[in-house]
Amino acid sequence: MARPKLIKERVPTPERPVEERVKSFVEVNLGYDFASAVKEAERCIQCPPEYAPCIKGCPVHINIPGFLKALRENADNPDEAVKNALRVIWNDNTLPAVTGRVCPQEDQCEAPCVMGKVGDPINIGKLERFVADYAREKGIDEELLCEFKESCTGTGGSVAVVGAGPAGLTCALELAKMGYKVTIFEALHEAGGVLMYGIPEFRLPKDILKTELEKLEKLGVEVKTNYIVGKTVTIEELLQEYDAVFIGTGAGTPKLLNIPGILLDRIYSANEFLTRVNLMKAYKFPEYDTPIAIGKKTIVIGAGNTAMDAARSALRLGSEVTIAYRRGREDMTARIEEIHHAEEEGVKFEFFLTPVEFIGDENGKIKAVKFEKMRPLEERDKRGKRKIVGTGEYVTLEADTVIIAIGLEPNRILVEASGFKANPDGTLIVDENLMTSIPGVFAGGDAIRGEATVILAMGDGKKAAKAIDAYIKQKKANA
Amino acid sequence: MYKILEKKEIAMRNTWYKIHAPHVAKKVKPGQFVIVRAFKNGERIPLTPVMWDPEEGWIVLIVFTRGKTTARMAAELKEGGEILNIAGPLGNPAEMEKFGKILAIGAYTGIVEVYPIAKAWQELGNKVTTLHVTFEPMVVLKDELERAVGRHLLETVPIDMTKSFPENMKNVTKRLTEKVRELLEKEEWDLVFMVGPTGDQKAVFEVVKEFGVPMKADLHPIMVDGTGMCGACRVTVGGEVKFACIDGPEFDAYKVHWDELIARSGYYTDMEQRAMQEYMRLMQQAAQGGE
Repeated sequence: MARPKLIKERVPTPERPVEERVKSFVEVNLGYDFASAVKEAERCIQCPPEYAPCIKGCPVHINIPGFLKALRENADNPDEAVKNALRVIWNDNTLPAVTGRVCPQEDQCEAPCVMGKVGDPINIGKLERFVADYAREKGIDEELLCEFKESCTGTGGSVAVVGAGPAGLTCALELAKMGYKVTIFEALHEAGGVLMYGIPEFRLPKDILKTELEKLEKLGVEVKTNYIVGKTVTIEELLQEYDAVFIGTGAGTPKLLNIPGILLDRIYSANEFLTRVNLMKAYKFPEYDTPIAIGKKTIVIGAGNTAMDAARSALRLGSEVTIAYRRGREDMTARIEEIHHAEEEGVKFEFFLTPVEFIGDENGKIKAVKFEKMRPLEERDKRGKRKIVGTGEYVTLEADTVIIAIGLEPNRILVEASGFKANPDGTLIVDENLMTSIPGVFAGGDAIRGEATVILAMGDGKKAAKAIDAYIKQKKANA
Repeated sequence: MYKILEKKEIAMRNTWYKIHAPHVAKKVKPGQFVIVRAFKNGERIPLTPVMWDPEEGWIVLIVFTRGKTTARMAAELKEGGEILNIAGPLGNPAEMEKFGKILAIGAYTGIVEVYPIAKAWQELGNKVTTLHVTFEPMVVLKDELERAVGRHLLETVPIDMTKSFPENMKNVTKRLTEKVRELLEKEEWDLVFMVGPTGDQKAVFEVVKEFGVPMKADLHPIMVDGTGMCGACRVTVGGEVKFACIDGPEFDAYKVHWDELIARSGYYTDMEQRAMQEYMRLMQQAAQGGE
């Protein structure tokens, strides 16, 4: 066999031009078509699945070379190619349209890709997304769903899942695939968690998300919205009715800055701002009833993905936007692609600034933010970021809107109501099987990790589903 | 989807909804609230169950027609129809203790939130006097309160149609503070509790403070999710930032930063008016089109 010819450069995906996209919330990246997807898939050197580094890099261990192979094997029959590829993906991940869009692939599957050593890594995320999108448009996912459903044999067990975010959705879908009767309890009026209220349309269109969520119903999962577990129903009550419970309540409580002026008008937590924009569609006010008050000059504090999402959303609402971060450019935690998009769209960046005071006008509206200038040290913290110290120098930047995106912590309603063992930061303590201090109650995602990523939450959901299956089988065997 | 079992206008701009919502009816306690989203493109608004039956699975909401969402509910929701979303119960229940002699005040439709709490306090052995101050055509729950508590006082203020609504509201505030002063001067009280517009709560608090009587207030900041995930409802209480939806809604009136709260409640006034005007325009258009 001839040595494979390496194609070093990835096949690009088209994007909407900047001038066009900053005026609306439509998706920025347009994705591959079949021909370019096959071309990109052909760059893969097909490492054997036992040691393919990309599979190890994926938190849910999708057989990546396997689905790429399926794509190129039927290059003359797109429908067949996509169906086979999707079948491979679904074995490990039931939300590929979501993960293909929002995963930080550069830190996960694409980071260890062998092709990345000689050129660009394979564009795995975009290929995963292509398969999901093409299948949805052609109804191929429907056929496959029937196939999966047939293989689900009822186990007679039932599981309650608390929270319809990435962790809960994955856990529910995996359990449904195993034949369990699953009910999801969700506090908001729509399922999806951060995928619905946090990530904007221009990164994850809500119509696509909703179609993905319809799989739940088709696999027989019931979703009860408007249920606040801890208030509407307790964990104890759920344990009486279900064989096991999975907690995927996330980390949804915003950290706010404990500095003067935090209650001034037009200072939003990123969660409030993004919930109004994404879940409530305040950008369509007054067609939609929820208002949002955004000025001409917005400062976003923080530099994670949430900060980028907030900044780019504020920009689309017609504001000039500056991101102020207390560390440097290389310390930013947001995805590189999203930082790049934000820069292209005209978001300005100010580094080494820590807010010390919000200054209001006579009407109680924010008018400026006072920052202390920071300086980096050589020393690094636990997460490998450079430590910073104040310089004693200050600078004041004008702003009529401020969005705080400095992080989130778990919501305490459930922990307080149910007596879970938790860490001081509110994250639930779990064992190696993701079981909490209450027997039969498992947890995963941000509820145990603090603020992390969608795909790690999904990985936990999948792991917990396996542990729950084992737990219920054991329980029934002992009964 | 939650079925509307009854809908009726019980006073000027006050609509009574009896709704099938067993998940809330089973768990709700006095002092707790729900978040309602009535329409597909609608907003989420906090409302308070006034009465409920855990067995039959219904709750009663009494809603004051104040802006677009409440106006649209009054105009478009029908008995036998449905409300899209009701999440709850939310917030902390009111403290249920034997405080002694309690003055529970409701300004305008605030009295509907006072009702379940006052009733429960009375049943617990407290001596409860409720005071309802409102405009003459807006009296609600008079008979129910007379039955539920030791003494129900009603103070009505006429509406002067030649003057603006804010002008008329000043008269309510005046009557409210006068009456509270009179009651505090004449009698001894162990606790004052109040629900009403933040400005009126502050005005009453200023009077109560002179007498040194403990006071609690149910706060009404802007809310979005009602579950502690956004901080829209943040208030400063005792110098600390609290989220009213999970730490409240009831707080010690002596610790609340009233001026800040008053400022925060006016954040969206312009947009609220715009939403209402737009709605009125569409309604007029529809009415003309229908002829």
